[in-house]
Amino acid sequence: MILFMSGLGIFNAHPYLYWGSTSDPDKAFFSIGASQDDGDARGFVDFYGRKIDTTGFLGVQQGVFGPFARAFPSWLTVPGYYSLAAARRWHFFFGWLFAITGIIYLFYNFAAGHIRKFFFTLYDAKKVPAMAAYYLRIRKNSPQEGEYNPLQKMAYTGVFIILAPLVLLSGMAMSPQLNVAFHWLPAAFGGRQSARAIHFILAFGFLFFALGHVLMVLTQGFFNNMRSMTSGWYKEKIPLAIQTMPEPSPSQAASVSSEQEREKINEAQS
Amino acid sequence: MKLNPRLSRRNVLLGALQGATLIVLSGCEKLFDSLSQNKNVQSMLEVAEQGSRRAQRLLTRRNKLAKEFDPKDISPKFRPNGNPPPITMDYTADAQNHWTKWRLEVSGLVKQSASFSLADLQAMPSRTQITRHDCVEGWSVIGKWKGVRLEEIINRVEPASDAKYVVFRCMDTDSDGVNYFESIDMIDAVHPQTILAYELNDQPLPIENGAPLRLRVETQLGYKHAKYIRALEFVSKLEKIGQGKGGYWEDQGYEWYAGI
Repeated sequence: MILFMSGLGIFNAHPYLYWGSTSDPDKAFFSIGASQDDGDARGFVDFYGRKIDTTGFLGVQQGVFGPFARAFPSWLTVPGYYSLAAARRWHFFFGWLFAITGIIYLFYNFAAGHIRKFFFTLYDAKKVPAMAAYYLRIRKNSPQEGEYNPLQKMAYTGVFIILAPLVLLSGMAMSPQLNVAFHWLPAAFGGRQSARAIHFILAFGFLFFALGHVLMVLTQGFFNNMRSMTSGWYKEKIPLAIQTMPEPSPSQAASVSSEQEREKINEAQS
Repeated sequence: MKLNPRLSRRNVLLGALQGATLIVLSGCEKLFDSLSQNKNVQSMLEVAEQGSRRAQRLLTRRNKLAKEFDPKDISPKFRPNGNPPPITMDYTADAQNHWTKWRLEVSGLVKQSASFSLADLQAMPSRTQITRHDCVEGWSVIGKWKGVRLEEIINRVEPASDAKYVVFRCMDTDSDGVNYFESIDMIDAVHPQTILAYELNDQPLPIENGAPLRLRVETQLGYKHAKYIRALEFVSKLEKIGQGKGGYWEDQGYEWYAGI
């Protein structure tokens, strides 16, 4: 989150994206800007020449002293005030943490053979529609087999094997010193400005994964997931639920209905 | 009493969640704002700068050149940035006289101090390179530079063994009158592409790009490339120069090592 938000802070220093090695001002394919038409400050997003008004969110933000121009609003950036220097400090510190923990994680998973459990293969691809139907509540029973289902495998393989290394490499492709060390690095992304654009786009890929991940955890039992993440114990719900969940007893049902009755009476009285 | 139908348990919870999110967000903003200005946090974050410098230097073979581009890649305009050009009478008059008065003073921890005119520098062996300039803000431009290698100067003044940095004293100032300055270490100073440039795109260096002389240090970001240079100083420490961080932008929180 800090990486993402300090990244937005860095982006604010030059809210334009280009393809290629250089940044010709009129060749940006994406930009966030502000304009002052008839005294009214408007914020907009420009994507290949199509302008979308985003006043109040992107481009122009409401401040204490009235609206002011700012690509990403201060509540989305680290730090909130505009400081490219501070944003870079945050970004590179957590960039190192990200790289080190990421490499240890991948190394451990390869060494322990754990990676086979979530590596997305052609075999899994066939099972994606059935699993997607279950997620979308079209299908009642989970077609799950193994520890991770095909959709989870797709997400984890996508993020850990593809997204994470690419976001790291595209970030490194912006470093002048690493450009000297590895001429192929910016070239692999189509030039330094392309690397910058790709880095920006991949960051949003991470954001969507993180949001989806948190959504899944919240909907599938927050405490159970927290316990499994920290201690490794996950209470299996499905078989236990059948055994222990009692049929609603008549007395319970009665109490519910009487409560509803009382409410109706109350409403009628008032 | 009639219950407000909008005030259902779900709506109250949702409202509370939204409120909490807002408080957390604005709290986060304030927290990170104050953390960003906290000295201890800053020094913790600065560990990353040292890590980047060591790791990146380790990965780069000494004297490995930055990519040089084709003439067709040169950007139509080389975007100037930073302080406005110096506006003193001396500077303006000398610019019109093709820099006949201007001298490059070289001093500090050297065997012999020296002073060079622009003609002196132009008479030395030159290097021409078409390279990409990357600003810390995120943009890049490609330009063709011609100048004298800094190592050429180093060989003439013979720095002492305890000279660790070259400090560039510049003629431009910010709106508060603070002079621009920059510094690089000897590893970058003797890099084959580190030049004191006096030509951009086959023309005498334009005023806005740092006339009469500017630094090109292709391993680092744009703010290291000091413009409007008037003097070089060889030093062992940076603490006593400016506010002690080794450069104008460094004094304002930017990294001294700008290879990232």
